[in-house]
Amino acid sequence: MKPERRNLEYSEKMNKEELVEGILRGDRRAVSRAISILEASINAELSRFILNSIYPHTGKSQIIGITGPPGVGKSTMIGKLCELLVEQGSNLAVLAVDASSPFTNGSILGNRIRMQSDLTKSGVYMRSLSTHGVSGGLSRAVWEATSVLEAAGHDTILVETVGAGQADLDILELADTIAVVLAPGLGDELQAIKAGIMEIGNIFIVNKKDREGAYLSMKEIEDILSINPGKGWNPPVVGTNSLTGEGFDELIRYISEHNRYEKDNGGKKRRRVYNTILMAVKMRLDSMVAEELEVVRERLSAEEQLHSRNPYEIADEYLKEDVKRLISFAK
Amino acid sequence: MEPGKNQRLFKDKPIKVLLAKPGIDGHDRGMFVLAKAFRDAGMDVIYAGLLPTPEEVVDTAVNEDVDVIALSLLNGAHLTVFKKVVDLMTKRGIDDIAVVGGGTIPDEDKPKLEKMGISGNYGPGTPLSVIIEHITERAIEARKKKLGIQ
Repeated sequence: MKPERRNLEYSEKMNKEELVEGILRGDRRAVSRAISILEASINAELSRFILNSIYPHTGKSQIIGITGPPGVGKSTMIGKLCELLVEQGSNLAVLAVDASSPFTNGSILGNRIRMQSDLTKSGVYMRSLSTHGVSGGLSRAVWEATSVLEAAGHDTILVETVGAGQADLDILELADTIAVVLAPGLGDELQAIKAGIMEIGNIFIVNKKDREGAYLSMKEIEDILSINPGKGWNPPVVGTNSLTGEGFDELIRYISEHNRYEKDNGGKKRRRVYNTILMAVKMRLDSMVAEELEVVRERLSAEEQLHSRNPYEIADEYLKEDVKRLISFAK
Repeated sequence: MEPGKNQRLFKDKPIKVLLAKPGIDGHDRGMFVLAKAFRDAGMDVIYAGLLPTPEEVVDTAVNEDVDVIALSLLNGAHLTVFKKVVDLMTKRGIDDIAVVGGGTIPDEDKPKLEKMGISGNYGPGTPLSVIIEHITERAIEARKKKLGIQ
């Protein structure tokens, strides 16, 4: 079955001022719609209008990244955090990213299911996003969606990455505080992943603390971390159990401690602006190149006997012809 | 499937569907079949989990800004519960999200559901392609309505 694709577009007739007012008021429909528009990146002009209008109202929230391998309990943990942080008076919002299919671009956004009852109880705004083919653990729309939520007045934003592998480190560029969630029984893998994801955590969490080996896992991580103690913030290791709430008081204390530390010492905000600029430029360039790539793709699929030729030579041939057109297109 | 041809990263926001079984009904095998079929048709799929209330369904639909809510019930309460979902949406002034139904729905109930704006109402044995085609049609309708926030 070959799915038929149709272009669904958002109109330009929409009243943009009202939409922005809605976001700043914290109106959920406006927030949701704005995120959709930014996610679609179809209407670049409208997207830019929204981003420019809300920009002065962003930059004040604490963005907490929750990352870790699939199945360690990130979503369930966020549910529990929602309940407790809202109790403490935090105006919280959640963004959760799930992977899209490399074949059809479709996705099952399953994070919500784990936290639904807590979301209902606490009334927290939560939005699921698909990666739409982007690797790195986040989708492109996450940056923009975070800005919308900041503008809507949320002081804390929890961002859940896809079940992350060793190199899904995009969250590093977005979050003020990164919590790396692990579970007992990852055992030897713990050693293996320490080069990538084990470097970016500000807080390490061993979830499912009731399981066998949890204590050992915590000790192992503490071990690895203590080999190279940093200058300022030394990441703590917390054991948690999302079902009973064990360890969450400690976790929340570390989160707010790290928030204070970042405010006093961190250069993360500056770094985020820097990265946002780079990314905005990159996205514009990418969208220019995308159409050209499509042309190349079509020509390639028409070409026979591809396998008997040198791929690098073919690439060079294409580039010689196309680069001129590309440059004129970019202008 | 043609990998590479489907990566419409810049032009397309896929149809977003919320699958929900509001009411006391735990038969979610069919939901998983549908969820996977919709995913394979290139849609973003959210499943609301077991036993959501109609309020939760509408809240989720708004927060996620879905195009279509796909409701299913096998317990015979569709005239009560589906209606509640639609009523809540009317109350909140939401007219840009389409609602479709399905499950074990007797033929004589279908016109009543249609009247509420709940279309489809497919039963067991319906080919997945028919359902996907119908959802796509309703999604385009909803997407067009989303144009006019004003």
